[in-house]
Amino acid sequence: MSEFEKIEYEPHSVRELLLEMKDTSELMIDLAYSAALFNDRELAEEVLELESHVDLLAYQLNMSTMIAARDPEDAESLVAVLKVASSADKISDAAADIAAIVLRKIGVHPLVSKVFKKVEEGLVKAIVKSNSILAGKSLDELELAAKIGVDITAIRRQRRWIINPKGSERIREGDVLFARGSHTGVEELKQLADGTLRKLEDET
Amino acid sequence: MPSQEQIEKIVEKLAELKDTSELMLDLAYSAILLNSRELAEEVEELEEHVDELHTEFELLVLSSGFKRQESKHFLGLIRIGVVTEAIADAAAEMAEVVLRQLEPHPVLKMVIKEAEETVLRVQVSENSPLADKTMREARIPEKTGMWVLAIRRGNRWIRPKPRTKIRAGDILIASGYAEGEEDLKQLATGQTNQEETG
Repeated sequence: MSEFEKIEYEPHSVRELLLEMKDTSELMIDLAYSAALFNDRELAEEVLELESHVDLLAYQLNMSTMIAARDPEDAESLVAVLKVASSADKISDAAADIAAIVLRKIGVHPLVSKVFKKVEEGLVKAIVKSNSILAGKSLDELELAAKIGVDITAIRRQRRWIINPKGSERIREGDVLFARGSHTGVEELKQLADGTLRKLEDET
Repeated sequence: MPSQEQIEKIVEKLAELKDTSELMLDLAYSAILLNSRELAEEVEELEEHVDELHTEFELLVLSSGFKRQESKHFLGLIRIGVVTEAIADAAAEMAEVVLRQLEPHPVLKMVIKEAEETVLRVQVSENSPLADKTMREARIPEKTGMWVLAIRRGNRWIRPKPRTKIRAGDILIASGYAEGEEDLKQLATGQTNQEETG
């Protein structure tokens, strides 16, 4: 039986809560697919933690929204917020279901790697070698999203996980990067990480 | 054991399910941001399409003749299919907000704009390097990290395929990481000091 945290109202803005729910649920989809693709149990566990965090956010958001509604007009326009939040919650549940496939040792048929080569968005797992130009640089300095169309979704640093790393996060040698992006972009990231590509060029 | 041909078919269906479900999510957010009935209707139509695809996918897997010891791994595949369907349903529920003519609270539009993955609407100008290029030639995801979800041309919506040619005047609905927004705007308007792209 899992533990359920007690819920108490906290003064957070609806905007803040919904933004976090939207961002987290979308990130979770990619993290969960990455966990399935790379058969990574630890990453799958991170996804489950995010899922319970999104649950808490949903409670908070529902309470903040109720307090924000003053009249029927407010109620009508805020119900859309609740619908979107409930969809984000469902998406987070769906991501957790993928994580469960990995954690319950069901596993996914190896043909899934072919699926991920065919889809629009590529996923990659890359280890940063000592001669990589990524080592020592912050994500803000690298501007991977703007330059190669790649977004780092998680970093595993020894035993620690950094989920959705901030721009100020500095990549270190030995880091395991999980990222999503265009197929050429993720391929470039892999080469940048293992040191075979020594230059980060802006395509535009 | 499933034949090579069966494997190919399964791969194709699952890839389409995954892409379509995520496209729907982006389109649903776009529909809310732009308060567009048409985009919302597109999402609803795609939802029906996903339902059909999902059934076809499950039948393909179940009839592939996998070995007993492979059954767990095929179960994993089926579960992923279920997830894509759940995402599609969630997207359709969001789009429904627009179809029910609920004027979305301003906070909702703010959130969609501010999110890490954002949606953007931009018109292609005459002197844009994108004009008269096919989607494949334009290489927009590589250059900007943004994906074009839909193209509005005159009164109709086009879902871009690699061979779809972009024309001046087209309105592109794109989603991607917020950092790529400026790059795509510059590409579409042709206002950039940088060299011709290619």
